[in-house]
Amino acid sequence: MIVELFILSLVILLAGSIFPLITASFDRRFIRTFSFSCTIVASLLLGMLSLMTLLKGDSVFFILYQPIPGFSLSFVIDRLASFFLFIIAVVSSCVALYFTGYIEHENGSTRRNLLCSCTNLFVLAMVLVVASANTISFFLFWELMAGASFFLVMYEYSQRDTIKAGIFYFVMTQLSSLFILLGIIVLYIISGSFAFLHLSPVSAPLITLAFLALFLGFSIKAGIIPFHKWLPYAHPASPSPVSALMSGVMLKIAVYGIVRFLLDVFTPDLWWGVLILAAGAASAVLGVIYALKEHDVKGMLAYSSIENIGIIFIGVGLFVIFTASSLPLLATISLLGALFHALNHSLFKSLLFLTSGSVVYATGTRDIEHMGGLSRSMPVTSALFFVGALSIAALPPLNGFASELLIFIAFFSSVTVVDPLFKVILFISLALFALTSALSAACFVKAFGSIFLALPRSQESAAAREVPRTMLIGPAILAAACILLGVFALQIFTIVGFAVPLPDMLLVGLLLLGMAVLTYGALYFTASHEVRISETWGCGTLSQKASSEYSGHGFSEPLDIIFSAIYRTRTKNERIFFDQKNCIFKEGRGEIRLLKVFEEYLYRPIAQQSMRLAKEVSRFQNGCLDTYLFYVFITVIALIIFLGWFA
Amino acid sequence: MNFDFVLYLVINTAIILAISPLFVSLIKKVKAWTQGRSGPSVFQTYFTLIKLLKKEVIYSPNSSRIMRVTPLVTLAAILVAALFVPLVFVPEPIGGIGNIILFLYLLALARFFMALAGLDAGSCFGGMSSSREMSISSIIEPTTIIVFAALAFVFKSLNIFDMFFLTAASGSPATPTLILIGISLFIILIVETSRIPVDNPETHLELTMIHEGMILEQSGRNLALMELSSAVKMTVLMALLINLIVPFGIATTLTFAGILIAVIAFMIKCSVLAGVIGLFESSMAKKRFFQLPSLFAMAFFFSTLIIIIEVFS
Repeated sequence: MIVELFILSLVILLAGSIFPLITASFDRRFIRTFSFSCTIVASLLLGMLSLMTLLKGDSVFFILYQPIPGFSLSFVIDRLASFFLFIIAVVSSCVALYFTGYIEHENGSTRRNLLCSCTNLFVLAMVLVVASANTISFFLFWELMAGASFFLVMYEYSQRDTIKAGIFYFVMTQLSSLFILLGIIVLYIISGSFAFLHLSPVSAPLITLAFLALFLGFSIKAGIIPFHKWLPYAHPASPSPVSALMSGVMLKIAVYGIVRFLLDVFTPDLWWGVLILAAGAASAVLGVIYALKEHDVKGMLAYSSIENIGIIFIGVGLFVIFTASSLPLLATISLLGALFHALNHSLFKSLLFLTSGSVVYATGTRDIEHMGGLSRSMPVTSALFFVGALSIAALPPLNGFASELLIFIAFFSSVTVVDPLFKVILFISLALFALTSALSAACFVKAFGSIFLALPRSQESAAAREVPRTMLIGPAILAAACILLGVFALQIFTIVGFAVPLPDMLLVGLLLLGMAVLTYGALYFTASHEVRISETWGCGTLSQKASSEYSGHGFSEPLDIIFSAIYRTRTKNERIFFDQKNCIFKEGRGEIRLLKVFEEYLYRPIAQQSMRLAKEVSRFQNGCLDTYLFYVFITVIALIIFLGWFA
Repeated sequence: MNFDFVLYLVINTAIILAISPLFVSLIKKVKAWTQGRSGPSVFQTYFTLIKLLKKEVIYSPNSSRIMRVTPLVTLAAILVAALFVPLVFVPEPIGGIGNIILFLYLLALARFFMALAGLDAGSCFGGMSSSREMSISSIIEPTTIIVFAALAFVFKSLNIFDMFFLTAASGSPATPTLILIGISLFIILIVETSRIPVDNPETHLELTMIHEGMILEQSGRNLALMELSSAVKMTVLMALLINLIVPFGIATTLTFAGILIAVIAFMIKCSVLAGVIGLFESSMAKKRFFQLPSLFAMAFFFSTLIIIIEVFS
């Protein structure tokens, strides 16, 4: 039953991918609608089958295709896989729903068919990665996913920024694949098999090497700092629904990878956990601090994804630490927290990307300083974005809070158990984690305030209209899911069969509602009902102007100053004078530039070194036939000597 | 949900609504005395609230629904948060009510809405104050969490109800560790309720105000709700401090006499604390905004020190 459903959904996704390719020369709406309907239907099927396995808790193994013995395209759908299949299913169905409306407003005529095709292929690849039962098919589909997503990023290929973003993304994603391949090969050397086999707990250097390679590979793909730079480039460049898919789902596939290998292959050491925790905490704090500074709405969301992936890694790191110190209960809580946050992040982040896509579509700009006042012209979109902002700021009773609370509980309970040195590490991480969630609230107050509240700051923003209904349904489903998963968090965990020490958010939600209703009732009977609409007081100016409002830059200014050590700005002052004693000023130039620390001190030196190396290597390839014949000759001689010596 | 708990919900909410405006005025009175003035009546906040309820509400034409729902959401969130801190009677916790992290985040929910409402009218003051409020609340957060983690460590529980049970059972004034945590909690109380040296609750000068600036555009019944919720918030945080450090008098069983004694004891303790806050405020000036991070850093190291002492002893 489950196998058939799975294969059926694969076929449908494949059909949705091939059909627009065949008809690529026809610029018809129904082709694209059909393609996205395929995504939606397949996602629904996948969602159904993943719920079935999630609730029953059994696992299904099957072989799809076996070209040679020892290697097969085999799949396993167990609880972990079906959980991530569920994430893929929910997000891609909503994104596809949104995409049907969105794509008709994109420019690029027949190129849009290719966009549909690639989207389906991308979803298909992610499904296959998650369901893979051996490392080789895992890697193959991982590469398919990387390729498909690269084409999606490159959709607006004629623009300069997109080309840069695309190349950057391609290099980073291939680097990630390289490390994963290294890890897989090392694992093969250790165990002699491509299956996800549990290795014996002895810690050999090879096992550590395999873990480090895989950790590095998945970190690059997940956007852990300092490998994060591709996210803030790729997200603004790609179409919003694609960003939603990439940030909402693809980053989670990297999380899936690391969790799968930690659970099924390795017996983790304590220091692995500390490494993951440190990487997570650093990404979380730095991610949100950079998000505060960003004024491109999609760039801001990209940095916020880095932050949330950091939080997920914090949970995974805690899981490893607790497993290694044999505290299974706390380990379960932190892993559940990490996985639940992965689900929640995929919901609210795709919701935020979709609604900000609507905003960008309506205003034609990505700069939040040129928005403002949209809550009146786009009421539904603003309400949906608001739900996303509440969730991502981890406010009760929404889902972002529920998962962060689980991680908080793991932290709080841990201080009583582990040994003193780790306590200090845990306390520092806890403080950083708290800082992260508070800063993300500040960040989204700024984002929502600048985009939707007060007066419009540009003519485009003043002229913005609400988006068509097709672009509202998808986000609306996601918003509803955010609310439901938050309010019923405890009940959901009980149904799935985990006893977690979460408070009953349903009770809290009802209490909140009850208090609000009581207050409203009390006011209704006691207070005055008079309402007057009158101009905001502007210190005596005759009419209020948008230029006197607090801007997004202004909003984050205090935090900019407080965290100025992290932002690393460079101030430049050039002055030219008429006289030699520098008294009479002629002209001058001043600028304050934000240093791109990682790019300037990490990426660029590495890139320059590899370019130099490549230049050295390229000397051997001079394009002259004689030289190549000479190489062949030398190789033959060397082979003869080698064989004569050893054979 | 049993009968005791429902009764608790009613009693706690009624008491906190009834008494919290008193302490706001009391602090003002103490400050006035130290300045040699006679000051307003201790019931002045009640009169102000009643006056505001009778006034009309004025909305800016720029403002959205955020402005209209914020007073309701803020008061509701803070009243629910108030349920997490038993004032006079500690029942068995039900459904995770009393979770200390949830308590903190309910306050954050109120703050989130308040900050957005500050931006909503498009006034420069509101934006400035929202920005400052979010900055301050972000940088105090690590300290708050560490202090709460220390509490969880000392009491081996995440639930405020359990903590109060333990302190009430021991009966005696607190251990040295708890007193140290109390000092940290006092700093958090000052910051969270926007008082000197972080913010000045009495000015309406644009250069100094934080909390007052955010509610500058509120009027009439909405302003009454905002004022009431900030009073409730202050009293709840005071109650948290009081019932942890000097728990005597608090009732753990539901009897009329017990509740009455507990209310009287709480009123006395809370009045003393209000007096202390008033004297504390009178004894220092408001700090410059960008000097606050160093103040918070001090509080952070202080609370971390406590934990390290606790952890390694």
